[in-house]
Amino acid sequence: MYRYDEFDAAFVRERTAQFSDQVRRRISGELSEDQFRPLRLMNGLYLQLHAYMLRVAVPYGTLSSRQMRMLAHLARTYDRGYGHFTTRQNIQYNWPKLRDIPSILADLASVEMHAIQTSGNCIRNVTTDQFAGAAADEIIDPRPVGEILRQWSSLHPEFTFLPRKFKIALTGSPNDRAAIKFHDIGLMAALNGAGEIGWSVYVGGGLGRTPMIGKLINAYVPHEHLLSYLESIMRVYNRYGRRDNKYKARIKILVHEEGLETIKAQVEEEFAQVRGGRLTLPQEELDRIGAYFAPPPFKSLPVAAIDIAREKILDAAYGSWLENNLHPHRVPGYVSVTISLKPIGAAPGDATDAQMEAVADLAERYSFDELRVSHEQNLVLPHVLVSDLPAVYVALVEAGLAEGNAGLISDMIACPGLDYCALANARSIPIAQEISRRFAAPERQKEIGALKIKISGCINACGHHHVGHIGILGVEKKGTELYQITVGGDGTEAAAIGKILGPGFEAEAVPAAIERLVEAYIARRQTPDEPFISAYRRLGDAPFKEALYGTA
Amino acid sequence: MDILTGNELLSGATVYLDTEGRWVEDLQAARIFLPEEAEARDAAIAATKKTGRILSLEVEAVKLVDRVVVPLRIRERIRAAGPTAPAFERQHLDEDSHVSI
Ligand code: SF4
Repeated sequence: MYRYDEFDAAFVRERTAQFSDQVRRRISGELSEDQFRPLRLMNGLYLQLHAYMLRVAVPYGTLSSRQMRMLAHLARTYDRGYGHFTTRQNIQYNWPKLRDIPSILADLASVEMHAIQTSGNCIRNVTTDQFAGAAADEIIDPRPVGEILRQWSSLHPEFTFLPRKFKIALTGSPNDRAAIKFHDIGLMAALNGAGEIGWSVYVGGGLGRTPMIGKLINAYVPHEHLLSYLESIMRVYNRYGRRDNKYKARIKILVHEEGLETIKAQVEEEFAQVRGGRLTLPQEELDRIGAYFAPPPFKSLPVAAIDIAREKILDAAYGSWLENNLHPHRVPGYVSVTISLKPIGAAPGDATDAQMEAVADLAERYSFDELRVSHEQNLVLPHVLVSDLPAVYVALVEAGLAEGNAGLISDMIACPGLDYCALANARSIPIAQEISRRFAAPERQKEIGALKIKISGCINACGHHHVGHIGILGVEKKGTELYQITVGGDGTEAAAIGKILGPGFEAEAVPAAIERLVEAYIARRQTPDEPFISAYRRLGDAPFKEALYGTA
Repeated sequence: MDILTGNELLSGATVYLDTEGRWVEDLQAARIFLPEEAEARDAAIAATKKTGRILSLEVEAVKLVDRVVVPLRIRERIRAAGPTAPAFERQHLDEDSHVSI
């Protein structure tokens, strides 16, 4: 795993010291809130409805046990014993006090973590596939490039005051689990004619008020020119991005308004000038960074089959967990395990300090000390021996983290919504809880199969509702909460934005409406194996609209 | 009718201006400004800003239901109650975080 080099460590230390002093001066009254606010936001400190919120970056979703233990320590010592993992692969603490922030940042720095670039109009934390470095379908581990992007974008003088925030996601696999087409820039590993690995670059994707699918701006950029190419995009954006209007300031609007071809020509022009210059990535540098992500010492084992049918007969819950929460590993005898942070009726993405400790222990014992955070608000043990699965499961049961629902209807994304967020219009978490309870029975979930529900408490779409197979968006109407339901969204390589089929529903009516959609799907699917999203694509809106609103 | 609300600097806790000019946790203790008291309300806002200790200062519309102060916006009702799912107690003021104007 990557370790901070001298520069990083010194920088984070310095920033922590600076911010401690700024907090001190704010408390003593030397700094006004107007002066302090941008400083605290630069350090990930927001003010929410009930308290401050600290957002800590988990670069490309990778954590060690030691880091996870520190996150647990922070939850226990400075917060209320829990943290919230987000769709940005970050963790948020909901109750820190201003005076404690310097200590929290110092604690984080001691494990090479920080809260920088989790806010503001800069390049934010780079996100990637939660199975990076482990997945059987991966062409390349995307994390070394993720790290290079982190170093390039961190505090880049040209990019600290962009027209708006900027998000980059990358995947090393053709099966996109990182929603790359819904980021300002999305990168997907690609092969050229000679079989060399480079990157397909998508630009102008995003969710929020104006959802857009990223457009392919370059099908193949070799490693060595990637930074030059991205910097060219950033320069074009920096120059032409709409600073006059917050709602039009993201690169997606620029690409949409100017057209891909215009932007592409501008980027190419810029690229022609910088290509081969100081941003060229020599292979040695790639190798140097890559060495930090070297595969752990896997054993050489035969392929290990898991007899799920048999296990299900012996222990149904364990069988479901095996069936849903394992992901194929590139090394025989190993699997990646999804630890669901969606127990029935719980707040999606929340983990207690004890659970974080338990997960850290498991990573240490069974996964070469490695952990991942997924954008779907779950945790992952990337490298687990098949023969260790029973022991891992037992420990997860003890920690209350053994829900075998990964990828099923109760594995929902939900943003904090109006229970915490100052920007929210409606609550998200209680809606997720009610749906989760309604579909709690494992047999029912299995019958429904793969189905992604995503819930946001406002149009900012942190809960990715636009790309939920079923999306739920909270809005405010006459002082109450109302929920719009969308159908047909898809965050994968088959990217699609969900459609609103009619008027919104009151909170109490949402679970039944979801049930009607599910029933409409089950009644019309060709086989039990045809997933919801495929059936929707085949059938179109009509049956789902009718399910929601009747035939009138 | 309106109340004044905000978040206290040190704790971040939700607070309301009461009739004594103190910023307190209890919504029911909030001073209610009638439409004709706009001047007093604006003076209180100005005095509060001067302390530099109350953030996200807002004027919120409320109604009285059986003498209970009920904010019109659901957002405010949740701010007054704390997170609902799961329910958590609201943030409390620390000893040194009491502010008055
Ligand atoms: S989607 Fe809206 S309500 Fe939800 S976390 Fe984002 S800003 Fe807050």
